[in-house]
Amino acid sequence: MKHYLKQVLIAGSLIPILYVGMSSAAEKASALKNDSLRTEPYADAKISGSFVRGESLEIIKKQGAWLQVKAKKGSGWVRLLSIKRGVTASSNQAAGVLAVASGRAGTGQVVSTTGVRGLSEQELKAAKFNEEEVKTLESYTLSAEKGRAFAKAGNLNSVAFKNLKEVKGGAQ
Amino acid sequence: MSANQTSPSKSSTQQFRLISIVVAGMLGFTSSQSVAFDFKGALKDAVEKEISQQSEGSTAPTNAVSTTESAKSNNSTASSEATFNWKNPSTAEEITLGREIAGNLLGAAPLVKDAALQKYVNSVGRWVASQSERPELPWRFGVIESEDLNAFAAPGGYIMLTKGLYRKLQNEAQLAGVLGHEIAHVVKKHQLKVLQKQQLLNIGAGLLSDKYAKDNAIISKAIGSGAEISARSLDKSAEYEADRLGLSYATRAGYEPYGLTDVLQTLGQSNTSDASVALLFKTHPHPDERLSALSESVGGQLDKMTNGKTLEKRFYLLK
Repeated sequence: MKHYLKQVLIAGSLIPILYVGMSSAAEKASALKNDSLRTEPYADAKISGSFVRGESLEIIKKQGAWLQVKAKKGSGWVRLLSIKRGVTASSNQAAGVLAVASGRAGTGQVVSTTGVRGLSEQELKAAKFNEEEVKTLESYTLSAEKGRAFAKAGNLNSVAFKNLKEVKGGAQ
Repeated sequence: MSANQTSPSKSSTQQFRLISIVVAGMLGFTSSQSVAFDFKGALKDAVEKEISQQSEGSTAPTNAVSTTESAKSNNSTASSEATFNWKNPSTAEEITLGREIAGNLLGAAPLVKDAALQKYVNSVGRWVASQSERPELPWRFGVIESEDLNAFAAPGGYIMLTKGLYRKLQNEAQLAGVLGHEIAHVVKKHQLKVLQKQQLLNIGAGLLSDKYAKDNAIISKAIGSGAEISARSLDKSAEYEADRLGLSYATRAGYEPYGLTDVLQTLGQSNTSDASVALLFKTHPHPDERLSALSESVGGQLDKMTNGKTLEKRFYLLK
């Protein structure tokens, strides 16, 4: 416990330094799975490194569905779905602990919750059927042809793509 | 850390199970309650089997009696108001049920009074729904007055998303992804199956005969008070399935496939203690988990889908 507190204090004192060091250069990210880094944004490009799930990364740039990132073991290109933008969940929690320790907790949260009308369970339970609103909702129903016309206006063409299947175990 | 945690919890469940077996054994011959418990378990199994059999395609030949029964109930529109075939609901019955749920939800949060917005959302939704396995449903979409971040689907093709969530969207592909997820819930009858299971259990002997499965209890009794049903969680697996299918439908519709994952990235960055995401986070797996699962399912399958459109220029901005 004592040891833990010490860690928190040390980490807390480091934070301002880290913030300065990071500046605004690269976007922070974390790995959603184990994956390889490649020298170019293609699946068959040469492997230039790798990272593991949960690892912190830095996004350098984006090209199509690929991101160039910097990892512990080298840098390179990876599919954007392998990456979560922002900091990892675990470091979020750590940040929460630090915020509490330093008395900064709660700032910034208050603003986003005031004046918000929530759809809480309580409110949902108390709701009464609204016939007029359902009729209005139903009046917006469009035919399949109208949908097609809308797609055409936006140059949207339907393409062949099979429904994604569940992958168990998470191994690729 | 996790390895340390699993072993004690495993042994404690074993211990608990052992205790409950002993307790059950002691009560077994004297108490009728344990008999009732067993019966309920068997009933639940049977109900689950029934529902899954029916949903795995209408091609599976059930017995002749039940087919004629359900055909009869499909035809008689007058009686479908009063009775509801919980064992094998018709599309009309499914829509009646969904309408009730949608009406209750709209009672909690009415539609945003912006016809152009509603028309736009219906256009996108209708086109995405046409890529699904149930294009023939009368799909309807609505944006509702709430600053929460959430979206809802009710049986039969009623889909609503909050103004708060709409505000977070940046282009049409993202809207298509969100609507795709909800469309998938309807296509897979996720909510309907939960209601069926619960209702058949309530009826008790519902599986013994179709006569009993057609309960006269009104739908509102089945869906509980108000729009409470909309606050209930589905299985985690149902959410993951809706993500996979939602992404697939939006991709087939010609959109850039990463609309849904963009939105999940945004949701993943919202503060979990924020009231606007409280219900969403309570009823869905964390966005990070959903992203991970999608990432695994996608693998390299989107590598060649590079012509998808985002259409941010056409995206309707809230007034």
